[in-house]
Amino acid sequence: MDAPRLALVPPRYGPDVIGGAELVLREVAHGMTERGWEVEVLTTCARDHYTWANHYPAGTSTDGPVTIRRYPVVDDTSGKARATVAQRLALGEMPTLREQEAWMNDGLRVPELFHALLDDAETYQAIIVSPYLFWTSFACGLIAPERTILRPCLHDEPEARFELFEPLLNGVARIWINTEPEGDLLDQIAPHHAPASVMGEGVPVPEGYDPEGFRSRFALGDARFVLYAGRREGAKGWEQLLDAFVATVRKEDVDLHLVTIGVGEVHIPDDVAHLIHDLGLVSDRDRDDAFAAASGYLQPSALESFSRTVMEAWLAGTPVVANAASPVVAWHCERSGAGLTYEDDADLEQCLRFIAEAPEAAAELAVPGRRYVLDNYTWPVTLDRMEAGLKEMAGLV
Amino acid sequence: MRILVVSPYPPIRDGIGAFAVQQVQTLRRAGHEVEVCSPAPSAAHHHLDLRGPKGAVALRRLMAGFDRVIIHFHPDFFYDHPATPSSRITTGLALAAALRSGPETIIRLHEVDRRWVTATDPSARATRAVFRSATRVEVHSPDDVEMMTGEFKVPRSQVELVAHGAEFVVRTTADRAAARRSLGLPADGHVFLCIGFVQPHKGFDRAAAAFRGLGEKGASLHVVGSVRIDDPSAADHERELEALESQIPGVHLHLGYLSDEAFDRWIVASDTVVLPYRHIWSSGVVERARLLGRPVIATRVGGLVHQLAGDPGATLVDDNLQLAAAMRAAVAGAAWSATGDPDDAGRTATGPASTWEFDGPVDRSSVMAEIDRRSAANRGVISRAGAAGRGGSVNQPATAALPLRRLRPVPPPPATSARPGVSTVKKLIRRVIAWEVDPLREQLVRLQKASLQAAETTDARLEELSDELDGEPDDEQS
Repeated sequence: MDAPRLALVPPRYGPDVIGGAELVLREVAHGMTERGWEVEVLTTCARDHYTWANHYPAGTSTDGPVTIRRYPVVDDTSGKARATVAQRLALGEMPTLREQEAWMNDGLRVPELFHALLDDAETYQAIIVSPYLFWTSFACGLIAPERTILRPCLHDEPEARFELFEPLLNGVARIWINTEPEGDLLDQIAPHHAPASVMGEGVPVPEGYDPEGFRSRFALGDARFVLYAGRREGAKGWEQLLDAFVATVRKEDVDLHLVTIGVGEVHIPDDVAHLIHDLGLVSDRDRDDAFAAASGYLQPSALESFSRTVMEAWLAGTPVVANAASPVVAWHCERSGAGLTYEDDADLEQCLRFIAEAPEAAAELAVPGRRYVLDNYTWPVTLDRMEAGLKEMAGLV
Repeated sequence: MRILVVSPYPPIRDGIGAFAVQQVQTLRRAGHEVEVCSPAPSAAHHHLDLRGPKGAVALRRLMAGFDRVIIHFHPDFFYDHPATPSSRITTGLALAAALRSGPETIIRLHEVDRRWVTATDPSARATRAVFRSATRVEVHSPDDVEMMTGEFKVPRSQVELVAHGAEFVVRTTADRAAARRSLGLPADGHVFLCIGFVQPHKGFDRAAAAFRGLGEKGASLHVVGSVRIDDPSAADHERELEALESQIPGVHLHLGYLSDEAFDRWIVASDTVVLPYRHIWSSGVVERARLLGRPVIATRVGGLVHQLAGDPGATLVDDNLQLAAAMRAAVAGAAWSATGDPDDAGRTATGPASTWEFDGPVDRSSVMAEIDRRSAANRGVISRAGAAGRGGSVNQPATAALPLRRLRPVPPPPATSARPGVSTVKKLIRRVIAWEVDPLREQLVRLQKASLQAAETTDARLEELSDELDGEPDDEQS
C-alpha cells in the first residue's frame, strides 16, 4: 500500500526560519515521515516575515526526507487596506467584511501555491494549514476543507474575531489546538467551530546542558541574568519588557542582567547597556545552554497559544516569569507550579527582585517544570496524538 | 492551451468567485495552462481594476498572451457605479475593442441590465457591441438565449446554453445522519433549508412565513448564510428574519459565512431545500442540491424555471400560498402540484394551505393581533414566539412606537416645480449635490428605522411583561 500523503502549508519553512508555529510544523514533517507518511511542505520562498522577500528559490527541494515545494510571494499591494483596518481597530471599531477581505489580500499572497493545492488537494489524505492569521492558511484552508486540518495558534487578538475567519474556523474538517485555554478561546470566538482536539506540541529534550560553557563563550562571567528568547517585537511584548527591566535596574539595587537571543532590533539605552546583552541568533546548542545558565526566563507575550520557550526553560530547570495576560502561559504556570505571572510592571519588578534576591528559592520553584514538560509535551507523545488524529480523519483506522 | 479567466476570485466571499475557482480547477486538470485575473487582489495571478475605459485597455494588454479568455460577466466588474449613459458608451466601446483585439473570448454571463439596450437608451449600441464582440456568450437559460439574440442582437451561433453546475464537485463526505449530528440538528423531523447570502430578494422571509404551523409537526426551517453587512437593506432584512425566528416555532437562523464543505453538509442534512426567491438570474444552490440529491421547492422566477425543468425532485410554486402548500406536502411526505385539484395529496394530507391559523374562533381581534405580529416582524421587532399582539381593539392604547410609525421615510429632495424650466435646474442641482445629500438621507432613514424598531421592541416587551403580570396569581388573595 502506498504511504499516506500529508501536506503541510506554513507561510515559511526551513531550518533557519524563526517562528514557533513554523518550527512545530518542521518537527511534524520529520516526525510523520519517520512514521511512514509521505510529507510535502507547500510554502513560500520567504524567510523573513517582516519583508516577505523571496529568499529561497522557487521549486522543489528537500529537507532530509521531506519534500519542499516553494512558491513565490506576491506582495504588490499598497498596504492601504491594512492601514485602514489598523486604524479602525485602534478606534475600537470592527472593520466591515469588505474591509477585512481587502486587509487579508493587502499583503503577501501566493497565487501559485493556491493553484498548486487546487490542482493536487485530492492527492493528500490530509492538509495541515497553520497559523490562522496568514494568507496561506486562509486561502489554502478552504480549497479542500473536507480534508483540511487547521492548526490555528489562536490568540485573543481583535483579528481573531473577524467575521472573515468564520468559514475557516467553522468549515475545515478538524482543528488542532495546543492547550485547553486556546480551546476555550476558540469556543468563545467561534461557537460553531469544526471538531477540535487538543494536540499540543512537542519540545525536543536536550541530552545535556553546559551553562558554564555558555557563560564563557559569551563572556558573561558570573553575572546573574534573566533570559528572553524569541522575536524582539511589539507583538511579543518585548518592548514593554525591556522598558520594565530598564526601569527596575535603573533603581540600582537589583543585581541582574538581561540576555536576549532571537531576531528583531534591540534598542538598548546607553546607561544600562552593560546590563543588557543582545546575542542575536544563536545555535540550538547555545540556546539550550542559555536556558540552563539563566536564573529566570521571561515570557512577556500576551498572545501565546503554547509557548515553546517556556517549556525549554522548564526542561533546563529554570523558573519562568510570564505575563498573566496570556491565559495559556498563566495556565501552564498554574498547572506546573513552576512559573510566576505578573499583571503589570510593578509585579514584574518584584518577580525580577525575587530571582535576583532569592536564587535558591527561584531554582526550587522551577523543579516541577521539567516533569510537567516530560509528561505532557515531548515529541513522541505529541506525534502519537497527531498520527492517531490523522488516521481517524483520513479513515485509515 | 493558455487560458485567462477574468473573475472575482477567492479568498474573498463571492458566488461568482466560488464558481470560477471550480472552473479553473477543471481546466487545469484538463491540462490547460490557466491564469486568473480578478478585479481586486486575491489568489488570482493578476489583479486589475477593470472598470471604465482604462480597465478595458488594461485587460486588452493582459489578454494578448493567451489563446482563450473566459470572462465571468457582471456589470459591476466593468462599469462605473452608478453607470451613466455616457460612461456606459465609453466603457462599452473600450471593452468591445478589447474583446475583438486578439484571442478567442468567451463571456460567461452572470448578470446584465437589459434596460441598457432599450431603444431609448443612448448606450444601447455600445452595450450590444460588448457581447457581439465576444467569440461566444455562454448563458444558463433559454430566456437568456432569447435575451441575448433578441435584445442584445448577438448572432444565435455565438450564444451557447450551458449547464450551470457542469463544473461542480461534492465537498462533503458526511451522510445525512452525520451531517445532522455535526450541525446539532435532531436526527428526525423534516428539515427545510434556505441557504446562501441573506438578501431581501432571496425571500427567506417568505419561507419562514410559509412555515408557520409546521414546527408543531416536528419540522424545522433553517435559514443559513451570511449577510453582506455593508448593505443597509440586507441588515434590515436580517432584523426581519430575526424577528420571524423569535415568533415562529421551528424557524432557526444561522448567520455566518460557510465554507464549501459546510455549505454542502447543510444541504445533505436537509430533507428539502427551499428557494423562495423574489427574483434571481440563476442559482448555484439549485445545482448543489441536485448534485447532493435533495429535492427543492422553488418559486417560478428568473432562470429557476429552466434550471429545474425536468427535475423530478423539484417543485415550482407561483406564490406564498403554493409555497406553504408545497412545504406542508413535503412534511406529510406527499407530492404537491400547483395544477392539482383541491383534493390532491398535499392538501388532503395536511389541510388547507394557509399559514394563518388561530387557536380559537377567528375574530377581528385575533386576526388584527396576528397582522400586528407579522408586521412587527417585518419591521424587525423581536418578541417571544406566540406572544399576543396589541389586537385590533378600537380602544387600542397609544404606544411609544406609534408617532414614529406615522413618519414617512425621508424622501430625496423633490426635483420638481410648476415653474417652467425650474425642474430641470433642480434636477441638475440634485445630481450635483447627490454625493453629499444621499448618504445623509440614507443615515436619517436608517436612524428612523432603528428608532422605530427600538420603540416597538420596547412596546412588545412591556406588553409581554404586562401579560405575565396579569397571568400571575395574586399572592395576597391566594
